[in-house]
Amino acid sequence: MSDSIKFGDSEIKLKKPDFKKVFSVVVLFVAFITILSSFYTIDANENGVILRFGAYSHTQQPGLHLKIPFVDQVYKVRVDYQHKLEYGFRTLKSGVKTEYSRRNFSHESWMLTGNLNIAEVRWVTQYKIKDPVAYLFNVRGVENTIRDVSESIMRLKIGDRSFTEVMQTERIVIAEEARVSIQEVLDKYNSGILIQLVQLQGVTPPTPVADSFNEVNRAKQEQETLINEARQAYNKEIYSVQGKSQKIINEAEGYSIERINGAKGDTELFEMVLREYKKAPQITKDRYYIETMNKVLAKVKNKVIVDSNLENILPLLNIQKEGLGK
Amino acid sequence: MGRLSFGLVAFLFFLAINSYYIVDEAQQAIIVQFGKPMGDAKRDAGLYFKTPFIQDVLKFDKRLLEWDGDPNEIPTKDNKYIIIDAFARWEISDPLEFYKSARTEQVAQSRLDDILNGAIRDEIANRVMDEIIRSTNREMAIYDSETSDETINLDEKKVSPYKGARLEIVKAILDEVTSKLVDLNMGIRVVDVQIKRVNYNREVQEKLFNRMISDQNRIAEKYRAQGVGKKQEILGQQIQRKKEIMSEAYLESQRIRGDADAKAVKIYAKAYNKSPEFYNFIQTLNTYENTIDSTTQLILSSDGKYLRYLNP
Repeated sequence: MSDSIKFGDSEIKLKKPDFKKVFSVVVLFVAFITILSSFYTIDANENGVILRFGAYSHTQQPGLHLKIPFVDQVYKVRVDYQHKLEYGFRTLKSGVKTEYSRRNFSHESWMLTGNLNIAEVRWVTQYKIKDPVAYLFNVRGVENTIRDVSESIMRLKIGDRSFTEVMQTERIVIAEEARVSIQEVLDKYNSGILIQLVQLQGVTPPTPVADSFNEVNRAKQEQETLINEARQAYNKEIYSVQGKSQKIINEAEGYSIERINGAKGDTELFEMVLREYKKAPQITKDRYYIETMNKVLAKVKNKVIVDSNLENILPLLNIQKEGLGK
Repeated sequence: MGRLSFGLVAFLFFLAINSYYIVDEAQQAIIVQFGKPMGDAKRDAGLYFKTPFIQDVLKFDKRLLEWDGDPNEIPTKDNKYIIIDAFARWEISDPLEFYKSARTEQVAQSRLDDILNGAIRDEIANRVMDEIIRSTNREMAIYDSETSDETINLDEKKVSPYKGARLEIVKAILDEVTSKLVDLNMGIRVVDVQIKRVNYNREVQEKLFNRMISDQNRIAEKYRAQGVGKKQEILGQQIQRKKEIMSEAYLESQRIRGDADAKAVKIYAKAYNKSPEFYNFIQTLNTYENTIDSTTQLILSSDGKYLRYLNP
């Protein structure tokens, strides 16, 4: 047995391996590794399920713990975490401006309603793991199971309601009933899941017919607009006409006041004069007569005075003088 | 000495490893000796021992397993072609029987395909749409915006003679499947069958969409026509009202004027009646003042009142 290795010119002497020493080093090394790997941490939102020789031993709370090497198996389950599942749509990126996938999810979202119309239904479920042991060991593919059950329950609920009920009036009831029923089934399976929320995100007519439904809304709007416009025009016109009619009445009333006041004024004047007249009738009469003749005769340019004592005079009309028309 | 002891240790090591097995909480196991199953199935989790090398352990999943059927096009009793997508959950209830009959999950799945699809088809073909889609008899509120006709479309009666039977259908499928499996004795138990999705096939769906579109278009037309009609109505009312108001105002104004005239006449009459001849006198003088102007030629007699002083 050669105990040295030749590297060109130099010769290295190998010490004969001491099996006992090597063995003990290896054993120590393995022991060290084993002890190191027996430590494990459970995060704050997790629980640790420990199987000892395959059988469930205990559930470990968050923290740093020790397990029995080779014998203990640790399964970490996030129990304090809210999972969300989307149906009929997928969010690509959530945030201030949420982005949705453009892919067609009509196989998930189109469903028959109770009166055999098709509606497009989008909803979410939120769940938590309430029993980590059950979650791990009772159902294979828990998330798929939740999805399958949710879809079938939602279709059950939608299928019992009319198209309009589904889109408008019954949305909250449907979601609540769905939550209860999904929970029942998942409990029947002993899945260890707690459904916290079922929420309908949007129920609309399916895309191929959406336009025609929008058209109805538009037509409704147009109808309202037409009616509003007509009413407004009506109000405006009637208001204006009422103004005019009021004006006519006001004018009449103005006339009335004028007329009556005028009459009152005239008659008051008359009565004043009458009182004077009654005190001195002849003088008043004469005075008025003379005043009037004064005014009148001053205006007249063409005066002819004929002596009444003259007899046999033909009163001649001087037709040459101006002032006489033909 | 070292080599031999090393070999001995190794042999003992492998012997030890082969003489125990662990069944975890998600598993169940059977022991097979030369291809033949031995003893009972081990369904409880834990540490077990067996004869090394001669006996093999076969482990099966103890959990609820999935079955997801392919969507199937099935005609209903009322001749509607619908696509049913069902799922089931099953378990290996007896691993020994399972090993004897199906042996692997793959085989079991294909057997389940036949059994489940058959049961579903049987049940669905015997039911009408209303029974399949609806599950209760709750009265649905159908708004007239869903159909444009006054009478409800024959396809969707408000009151259908058929009761909603979805839950019964599903239960019937499960019962049929269960009894078949009991007969087959495969060590399988189907725990649940549900209808995940049910839809019309493409052809019927197209027709339905077309009907929905034309219904909605008719409704839109109706709204528009109503709008125009109402607008005309209001316009007519407007014209009517306008006439009413104006004629009433005219009536009122005439009344007021007439009233005023009457009152004025009364006032004048009352006053002037106190002395008609004085009134006559004054008025006559007023008319002289108003009617005689610069164009008048007056011929006066000297014995008139006014000129009497001219005669000396």
